Amino acid sequence: MTKILLRDRLDDCISRWHAAGLDVIGPVSKNNISQFDTIQKAGELDFGIILPDRTLKDLFFPQTEPMFRYRIGKQQIDTEEYLPPGRQRIVFGARPCDVSAMAIDDPLFGWDYKDTYWFKRRTETVIVTIACTSADEFCMCTSLKLAPDSPQGSDILLRPLEGNRGWLVEELTERGRDAFSLIEGLLENATGDPLPLAVVPVKFDLDACREWLQNPENFESHFWKEISMRCIGCGTCTFLCPTCHCFDFQDEGDTYTGIRRKNWDSCSFALFTMHTSGHNPRSTQSARWRQRIMHKFNYFPGKFSLNSCSGCGRCTRECPVDMGITETLQEITKLSK
Amino acid sequence: MTDNTQNGQQNIYKPAIMKVVQKRDEAPGVKTLRLEFQDPAEHERFKEHYRTGMFGLYGIFGEGESTFCVASPETRKEYIECTFRQSGRVTSSLASAEIGDLVTYRGPYGNRFPIEEFYGKNLLFIAGGIALPPTRSVIWSCLDQRDKFGKVTIVYGARTVADLVYKHELEEWQNRSDIELVLTVDPGGESPDWQHRIGFVPSVLEEAAPSPDNCVAVLCGPPVMIKFTLISLGKLGFNEKNVYTTLENRMKCGVGKCGRCNVGSVYICKEGPVFTAAEVSRMPAGDL
Repeated sequence: MTKILLRDRLDDCISRWHAAGLDVIGPVSKNNISQFDTIQKAGELDFGIILPDRTLKDLFFPQTEPMFRYRIGKQQIDTEEYLPPGRQRIVFGARPCDVSAMAIDDPLFGWDYKDTYWFKRRTETVIVTIACTSADEFCMCTSLKLAPDSPQGSDILLRPLEGNRGWLVEELTERGRDAFSLIEGLLENATGDPLPLAVVPVKFDLDACREWLQNPENFESHFWKEISMRCIGCGTCTFLCPTCHCFDFQDEGDTYTGIRRKNWDSCSFALFTMHTSGHNPRSTQSARWRQRIMHKFNYFPGKFSLNSCSGCGRCTRECPVDMGITETLQEITKLSK
Repeated sequence: MTDNTQNGQQNIYKPAIMKVVQKRDEAPGVKTLRLEFQDPAEHERFKEHYRTGMFGLYGIFGEGESTFCVASPETRKEYIECTFRQSGRVTSSLASAEIGDLVTYRGPYGNRFPIEEFYGKNLLFIAGGIALPPTRSVIWSCLDQRDKFGKVTIVYGARTVADLVYKHELEEWQNRSDIELVLTVDPGGESPDWQHRIGFVPSVLEEAAPSPDNCVAVLCGPPVMIKFTLISLGKLGFNEKNVYTTLENRMKCGVGKCGRCNVGSVYICKEGPVFTAAEVSRMPAGDL
C-alpha cells in the first residue's frame, strides 16, 4: 500500500504546514514570470507549467542579498551580520532538474569553507518534488544521465496520478518524513496508477563530450570561436541556470554606513576576470563560453564528481540569440566521433 | 567541517578589523601598510594559520576588497604588511588610509611555499617590480632562520630606479655578507648615480649564472617577465620542479566559490597561489 496525496486535500495540507510554522513556497506566476514564491492557498500554484521561468536557486542563493551592515566610526567599525530569516520552509512542486541542481551545488558551497548563507537556507528547507509528465523540446535531463523522476536532492518525490487527482508519495529523507507527518490523516492509503513520465530524448553523448573537453589540444580549438560567434554576452544563461553559482560583492552606502551585498555575477562578462593591470585572462567571448562549458562538464565533475548541469534547458530556451549548452554539446559529440 | 579548514570562522565572508600602525611610500603609487588585529581571537587564528605565500583580501567598507599577498613573513606574525600599487577604487582608498585608521582583512587563504622542503638548499629569489612583496615574505621567512639554508641569491629588477620597492631593505640585504643581491633596472630606467646592473631580469639572471645544484628558485613577477625568466632558468639547468612561483588572478571570495580565479581546472585561491613551474606549464596557457 502506498500513500496518495489528493489534490483537493492540498489546501488542508498547506494549513497544517502553516500551523506548524512552516512557510509554504511553490511555483506561481507573478508579473507574467513563473517563479517560486510563498503561497497561502493551493489555488495560487501554477501546475500548468513544465518548468518555472526562474530557478529554484532563487530560494537558496538569491540574486542579491545583504551580508553585513557596516557603520564606520572614528575609533571603531561596527558590523552587523544579516543572516537569512531563519524560517522553516517547505517547497511544494519543484522539478527534479531544479532540485538536482541544489544537490550539485552543495559540495561547491561546502568546499572546505562553508557558505553560511547557502547552508542556512538549505537546512531550513524541505523540498517536495513533482516528477515530470511532460517536457518541451529544450528539456535535456536524460542527456545528463538524470531523469524526469530523479530523486537527487528531494525530500519527497510525488508522481502525478491519472485524471489529475493527486500524487503518489515517495518519502525519501527524514526531513521529508517529518514534514509529511504533519499532514498525517490527510494522505490516503491507496494505490493508483501514476501517469507515464515525460519522454525526454537524449541529445548528446555526455561521456564523449567530457573526453573531448579533457583533451588539452581542444582547449585552443577553433571550434570555440565558431560556436560562440553569436554570443552577445548578456549573461541570461548564467542567471537562469540553476547550478551557476558565481557571485560578486558590492558595497552600497556612503563613507560611514552601508550594506555589503552578495550579488549574482556571470562568467559571460568581460569584467568578471579583468585584472587591475588591464590584463584579462578571458578577454574574448569565445574564451568565456569555453570556460562555461569546461567548468560545467570538465572542471566541476573533476572536482566534485558531478556535472554542473541538471539539464533544465533554460540556457537554450531563454537565449536571445538561440545558442545554448545543448547545441554546443551536440557539436562536441559530433567532433568526438 | 573542521575549524582548521574553515579557519575557525563562522561567517566566511566576514572580515577582521585592522588598525593601520605604519605606512610607507615604497615607490611612486606603491605603498605598504602595516596592520594590527583589533580582535585578539582573530589575531590568534591568523597566527595559527598563516604561512608564507598565503594571501588575503584587504578592504575598506564602502569601497570593497582587493586581493594581495601577505608581504610580511611567517616568522613575524604580530602584524600583517601589505604592499600594493594604487590603481583602482579599493587600492586608492587603502592608499589614503592614515596611521590609526581602520581597514578590513580576510584570510589568510590559499597554499604556501613549502620552506621546510628548502632546508639545506641554496635559495635563488627572482622578482620583478611590484612582485617583490610576495617574494620578500619568503625571503624574510628564510632569513629569520638563516642557518637552515645554504647560499641566498636575490635578483630583483624594476622598470626604473624609482620603481624599486622596499629600498631600505634592499640596502640592508646589500650590506649583508650572507646574501648575494643583484639589482637591475630596465635600460633607460637608470638614474645618474645608479651603480647596479642595467638590463632585463632574464638576461641579468643569465649573466649572474647561479648554479642549479641543490638550489630552489622562487620567481615572482609580471607574466611577460615570468615567461622569459623561465626560459633563462631552463638554460641555466634548473628543473621546473624546483622553481616556485605565484599566480595572481582576480578574486572576490578567496575561498573557491565565486568562480573567477581558475586557470583551467585549477582554482588559484584554493590550490594556489603558489605553484611550481612544472605545475604552471601543465595549465592551459590561453587561460593565464
